[in-house]
Amino acid sequence: MTGLDVAVIGLGLVTPGGVGIEASWAAVQKGTSTAAHDPELAGNPVAISCRVPGFDPDALLGARRALRLDRYVQLALVAAHEATADAGLDPSAWDDERVGVVIGTAGGGLRTFEAQQQALLDQGPSQVSPLLLPMYLPNMVAGQIAIEFGARGPNLVVSTACASGATAIGAACDLLNSGRCDLVLAGGTEALLEPLTMAGFARMGALSRLEDPGTASRPFDADRDGFVAAEGAAVLVLQRAADARADGRRIRGRIVGYGASADAYHITKPDPEGRGATAAIQAALSDADASADDVQHVNAHGTSTPLNDLAEAQLLAKLLPGRPLVTSTKGVTGHMLGAAGAVEAAFLVLTVETGTVPPTANLANLDPQIDIDVATAPTPMRIDLALSNSFGFGGQNAVLAIAPA
Amino acid sequence: MFEILKNILVDKLKVPPEQVTMEANKDDLELDSLGVVELSMILQTELGLEITDNELLEVENIAEMVALMEERSVASR
Repeated sequence: MTGLDVAVIGLGLVTPGGVGIEASWAAVQKGTSTAAHDPELAGNPVAISCRVPGFDPDALLGARRALRLDRYVQLALVAAHEATADAGLDPSAWDDERVGVVIGTAGGGLRTFEAQQQALLDQGPSQVSPLLLPMYLPNMVAGQIAIEFGARGPNLVVSTACASGATAIGAACDLLNSGRCDLVLAGGTEALLEPLTMAGFARMGALSRLEDPGTASRPFDADRDGFVAAEGAAVLVLQRAADARADGRRIRGRIVGYGASADAYHITKPDPEGRGATAAIQAALSDADASADDVQHVNAHGTSTPLNDLAEAQLLAKLLPGRPLVTSTKGVTGHMLGAAGAVEAAFLVLTVETGTVPPTANLANLDPQIDIDVATAPTPMRIDLALSNSFGFGGQNAVLAIAPA
Repeated sequence: MFEILKNILVDKLKVPPEQVTMEANKDDLELDSLGVVELSMILQTELGLEITDNELLEVENIAEMVALMEERSVASR
């Protein structure tokens, strides 16, 4: 696929920076980590996380509606409401069969699954909720968004672990480019801050064990030792750019390239030669009809794990010799897993729109093995082309190329 | 018994209190088949009443539901 040109006409964000675009963007620009001790994870090997502050599902969605939704759907619905409003759309007036929904999530409603497993063990099958499956199944988030807004076009959930949100946006662009949809609500959501999943991440050695939560997520820093898990969601309203212009939409930014690939190497380790990630970056640049020298900024995957950040930095240094300014917003937000790629795509749209690159929090001493330029303060710059990298366990890679309106 | 049922519907299933009247049917309460299974579970755990979800699906309105609850409450004594 070449010649991708999809307009982002609306954004919705629910992140550890807060509920909404404004709070989320202000938090990443401020550059202070949102990580904190997490009482719900007490007793776990790692009990720090980045939660969405002040998220009140009863107030935001209504108590009756919220009761039947796992948190991963609640976060996404709130983001979708902001995104459709931000786009100035009236869902009652849109051509509903032409509106698609594509959402990425790594784990779906595992919080509900874990609670119901406990009910089964404690009280037996007669006490398992009839809402277990409608709340837990990973496809439900796209179904619920369709129900909420009346979107009757293609409706799907994609799962590529920590690349899910970016894969969803890429798949949405494909639906628009092929003419199957005229509008797509695309994004990612994750709410896996529960004891079982967090124990699993801790047992993998993926999580930071640094004592001070505020400095635990430190992408590209010499002292980084793992990621801080986070929850959140982002939804972007996408439309073919030519249609958006014809409709007189406010265009916040454009997705001009998408590259997807697999490492075919190892279940969790990045390929040291970066073949899969290289292919994804090159495919995104090919879509954008751009060369490596055209890339001025990269919102890195930058998880703060020793392996990811080194492999990603080496890849960027090799592929993009023009030394684009790199940042990882995960220093502030932690790692939102399946939501991360969508949240970071939204942040990159805001970066390009406002002309300000957000800083990488907690970068005190750049790893001496890393030779890239990383933003440590909000940096004003005009950006014509930027990349957002997302890499998932399983070796699944998704790269988005983003340009201004 | 009406008040007990109303409290359960309002507190546990988040039905708006003004919707819970003797005449209200399951559609008025937005009580779908999954909600009926939940209600059956709650009646059992909270009140010890054995009323199956199929029985609850057959009742027309809250008045009949209250009558069924009263009948089972007496039967279980």
